[in-house]
Amino acid sequence: MCGANERSSEAELIRAAQRGDSDAFEQLVRTHDHAVLRMAFNLLHSEEDARDVYQEVFLRVYRNLPKFRFECSFKTWLYRIVSNLCLDQLRKRKVRKEESSSFDTDGGEIDRFQFVPEQRADVDPQRQMLSVEVNTRVQEVLSQLTARERLVFEMRHFQGMRLRAIGESLSVTEEAAKNCLFRATQKMRSALGDFV
Amino acid sequence: MTCHEVQLNTSLYLYGELDFAPEEELERHVEECAFCQRMLDREKTWHSALKSGSDDVSLDLLSRCRRDLHASLPGASRRLAAASWGSDWWGRISSGFSLPRGSMKLAMASFIFFIGFGMARWTDRNGVPEALQSSGPFSASSLLGPSTTRVREIQPAAQDRVRIIVEQVRDGEVTGSVTDQDVLQLLLAATRDSADPGIRVDSVEMLNRQTLDQQALSGQDGNDIRDVLLNTVRHDPNAAVRLKALEGLRRFAGDSGVRETLKFALEKDENAGVRSEAIDILAPVDGKLQMTPDLAGTLQDLMRSLPDDDYVRARCQQVLRTTNAAFDVY
Repeated sequence: MCGANERSSEAELIRAAQRGDSDAFEQLVRTHDHAVLRMAFNLLHSEEDARDVYQEVFLRVYRNLPKFRFECSFKTWLYRIVSNLCLDQLRKRKVRKEESSSFDTDGGEIDRFQFVPEQRADVDPQRQMLSVEVNTRVQEVLSQLTARERLVFEMRHFQGMRLRAIGESLSVTEEAAKNCLFRATQKMRSALGDFV
Repeated sequence: MTCHEVQLNTSLYLYGELDFAPEEELERHVEECAFCQRMLDREKTWHSALKSGSDDVSLDLLSRCRRDLHASLPGASRRLAAASWGSDWWGRISSGFSLPRGSMKLAMASFIFFIGFGMARWTDRNGVPEALQSSGPFSASSLLGPSTTRVREIQPAAQDRVRIIVEQVRDGEVTGSVTDQDVLQLLLAATRDSADPGIRVDSVEMLNRQTLDQQALSGQDGNDIRDVLLNTVRHDPNAAVRLKALEGLRRFAGDSGVRETLKFALEKDENAGVRSEAIDILAPVDGKLQMTPDLAGTLQDLMRSLPDDDYVRARCQQVLRTTNAAFDVY
């Protein structure tokens, strides 16, 4: 997916945006913003917070793009900003005892799991129920991970980022990112037990 | 590799983060160890359960975020211009040259004068380049708004001439009925080419409205719309867009190409909502369906290709039964 042509065209976009081309900047935003928003939402479980993070991420990108020197990939740089902002948000929430499994929307509080689509589960009520239970359990475990473990897990599992890039984004070594992912998956495995 | 080591490395293996040698060892071990095989299967199950659990954020939320950002950027832009870009541009340009600052200014002034003079002479002889006039598939009157031109590259050419590569960015607006060719072609292009799923959903929605007009379905426009919807169902990476395209295909349900695509969606699409919509179109519960040999064949094929999907099998059987077509061969 991320071929050489794609990378070079992204580099051209970045250079154009650095020269002040607002269309190039917009294109750059639209290339990455869906994934950024999804990650923020998956981590923060709040539309409002995800929206704030989205806004702040791209404003920071806009302000700091002239300083971007291609020393790492744009995606790594972008996710460094995303992860810092998400970690800040999660730290702020640490005072709360336990994160709820529901999230806020304009239409009120909604159970997150009702939006979880099931793999072929719609075809069989029994399987659907099992699948919902698995997802519920998985989400419970996710909410018990530390902020950093969760971030690494999100970046690897959902964003498909390599551990090396995750390490660069979080300013830690690849080994540290690997250990974080390892701990997260261990917790997941032990919590799920024979459930799946 | 021992069972314990396999257990420690399973997740990294599934993420493709193991080095070549340990990966080989793990695979060899798993092939021979039923316990680790089961453990690997379990791990795969929660990996995929979790993947499907991370649904996309709603396109509505994405649109709102984009609007917010768009509204914030002019302010940011002004601050930025004052703080960085504007004040720094001369330094950045001149830093690449070793000439003294005064000489550099003089050289740039001469250069700009030379370009202006060259452009004037060129346009005198050749007229304004077509690309700089309001061109393209739309009439001038249909395009409103400002156009901006940016010089991307300037090269000296033979005989005191200059070659300038110009990028033109033009805001345009086309307003009209979905049946207008300009509008329709833009919608088709947006569905096919836009990188933005929000735009693709909107354009498919508009195309779907067009398919309500039975008259339109019979002409070339109908074929174009059907083709683009078929392509969307098969290839669009966003489930919401695929789902929207399926809604539009309802009206083409009798078409063999559409049936093939519905079958494709049922067999290949990872999203449960998309599969559910596909079977609803192919085998509607109300049974208002004209059974043809082709359709019976498709349903029978599905019963064979999806032996574990009880729901799809039941729907196919129900339709085949109500139309007295054979279903028990599989």
